[in-house]
Amino acid sequence: MCSNLVRCLGDGNTSLQKLATSIVFFFCLSDVSCNSVEQKIYVELNNTVPCVRLLNATHQIGCQSSISGDTGVIHVLESEADLEWPLSKGPNPPYMVLLESSLFTRSIMMKMKNESNRVAGVAVVVPNTSPPEFSPHTTCPNENTGVYSDNYGPNLAHCNTTVWNPRGNGLSYEEFDFPVFSLKEDNETEFIKQCYLDHNRAVNGSAPQYPLCAMQLFSHMHAVTNTPTCMRRNDINFSINPEMVCDPLGDYNVWGSIRPYNDTVFGHKENESVVIAAARLDSRAFFWEVSTGAEGSVSGFVTLLAAAQALREVTHAAPPTRNILFAFFQGETFDYIGSSRMVYDMENGKFVIDLDNIHSVLEIGQVKNLVNNLQSSTAGLGFLLVEPNVSQPLPPSSLQRFLRAQPIPGIVLADHESAFNNRYYESFYDNAANLNLTYPSDLSPEEQLEFVTDTAKSLTDVATVVARALYKQAGGDESLVNTIKADPKIVTQMLYGFLVSSNNSWFQAVMAPELKNILKPSPPEYYVGVAMSSTPTRLVQYLLANLTGAATNLTQSQCMYSYLWVQGIVPPNSTERDSFCVRASVRLTKAVSPAFELGEYASKDYSTWTESRWKFIKARIFLVASRDLEMLTLGVGVAVLFTSLLVTYFISTKADVLFSSTREPASAAY
Amino acid sequence: MNLERLPNEEKLTLCRKYYFGGFAFLPFLWLVNVVWFFKEAFVEPTYTEQLQIKTYVKRSGLGFLLWVAVLTTWITIFQHFRAEWGEVGDYLSFTIPLGIP
Repeated sequence: MCSNLVRCLGDGNTSLQKLATSIVFFFCLSDVSCNSVEQKIYVELNNTVPCVRLLNATHQIGCQSSISGDTGVIHVLESEADLEWPLSKGPNPPYMVLLESSLFTRSIMMKMKNESNRVAGVAVVVPNTSPPEFSPHTTCPNENTGVYSDNYGPNLAHCNTTVWNPRGNGLSYEEFDFPVFSLKEDNETEFIKQCYLDHNRAVNGSAPQYPLCAMQLFSHMHAVTNTPTCMRRNDINFSINPEMVCDPLGDYNVWGSIRPYNDTVFGHKENESVVIAAARLDSRAFFWEVSTGAEGSVSGFVTLLAAAQALREVTHAAPPTRNILFAFFQGETFDYIGSSRMVYDMENGKFVIDLDNIHSVLEIGQVKNLVNNLQSSTAGLGFLLVEPNVSQPLPPSSLQRFLRAQPIPGIVLADHESAFNNRYYESFYDNAANLNLTYPSDLSPEEQLEFVTDTAKSLTDVATVVARALYKQAGGDESLVNTIKADPKIVTQMLYGFLVSSNNSWFQAVMAPELKNILKPSPPEYYVGVAMSSTPTRLVQYLLANLTGAATNLTQSQCMYSYLWVQGIVPPNSTERDSFCVRASVRLTKAVSPAFELGEYASKDYSTWTESRWKFIKARIFLVASRDLEMLTLGVGVAVLFTSLLVTYFISTKADVLFSSTREPASAAY
Repeated sequence: MNLERLPNEEKLTLCRKYYFGGFAFLPFLWLVNVVWFFKEAFVEPTYTEQLQIKTYVKRSGLGFLLWVAVLTTWITIFQHFRAEWGEVGDYLSFTIPLGIP
């Protein structure tokens, strides 16, 4: 109010205006909190995550709001039967439905989708404890871009034999034309529920009286229809204001090998036989970017990193005949973006090796429960690897893209024989608790980093088996196989960093100085995104360098290209970090779908996923008045306007009668 | 410009200029012609040039109505079918709305 008044007084240079300005300033200074009217009306909600629109070659999925936000009267849903109120019985549509996570089911969301003219939006309260099971992904992940199709193994395609994700309700792949936001279970949500109880409750069956508590959600997405349309609209130069409307999903793959390759020599290499060890890096959830992917992806790539570390010494002492290439693929959730790109690069001579150079592939899938009983025996490890039935298809895995191009021997290591064991596949509940990662409560964060959990122990055993298998597969010395052991301390530190807090001392030591800001006190997000700067990719790149490379004595100015300058630890008696140069054969290759390189936006062979752009996303709640009151206010205002016009007209026509003066008007010459 | 002060020949020249100008895809010139010279053509007492001015005004009026019809039809069709035309619709548009087909 004060600032508006000051603005109204303008930049006057008369003494009267100066006096008025100083009076206003005096009052403003004495009243410290100059509140704006907007703050008195709206309460901004800060901890919200929206659901955004994604597009592929033929469809759009996700949520859309109107360009000026969607407003609805808040209704807290109590049960599925209570849906009647917002969908048919309630007298003040449209409604903004607030759901507890137990009610966030396919049947409720589909019913609201069908009556979407009465539903302005949905807000889901995500609790801290997970429900028994929840997976918004489809039942058959990546069914059209794997190796099984109508031409190759039609009885195995489209999950005809094994349904991999039976708990999947497919909500992530539905299209909603109202916004869906997620709220955390905190003070803001309590405030919203209190607002609902105070204003919106129906008393004894009668309709609640205005003013009612309402919520407004803004998440207007720019892209529509499908990827070819939005990529075409990106490129149009003819329009007055060219605007980018969508971006392709993608990031970088991380790869490294025991024997380094020259990064500039591509294509087939004579007499070169490579064993590829692969894992995937990314995950997704229903809401944008919040994805923890603990069982879905972290368990796999942490095991592979530990196996790479376990192989470091023995491969330097007694190098195996074949090279071992560790590959971490990004974007596998969205129709195998990373692995399809690597296969495409190999097919077109843009990668250091060729498909013919590949001897075999070992892929690590979801390995949470591979160790069923931890009976520690002296020589062996506590689990048995079981080979499933010959008629069992491969689960959705990067190996399928390699097989699509060429028949290559391969294995996928997983803890499920048919359907996934993961109860929260590609959902926001697939977090540290899902991996049973528990720490004793009295430990400080540094102590938690070092504490070896049971999960870490079991994953270490898996890593040891993988490392030994890779060494044997690469033709290494048989007598040295039993000396290969993965380090549980490294595994537990990685699990802590990837699932609990990425800003810990070990991650800080292995990262480069310019990237230390990506480390946060929370776990990183595993959504592949469009910015080509995903945190897990960078973390895995530097970790793989640290675990397979060698520290050198080079200074920062000598440390270039395939050398990485990392921060190092803080020695006990100083505050400066001991930075050093790591020489490692760890590289990044682009993981953007070949469909965008080739311009085939309607491709059926490659991933065509894009993410829409938007201007801003926010949510707020406020009290709304009834429509009748609004119309009444407008009507009164218009009436006052016309009345004042009439009065002015009458006064001006009868001016000589009203303002008659006895003196003769002086005839002034103008 | 006050037409009353002009001699009649100049009024005729002006009307003719606007009439021929409108053929250069400028229907608003015809509209101006009709509105401006309406009084001159139909209300004022007769003078020699008035017959020609009348024809010009009538033809300008017809031309303008024809343009209105054509443009209204095209605008209605385009607004209704632009989304369905896909690629062609996008290439014909100056400003493509965000977030809706």
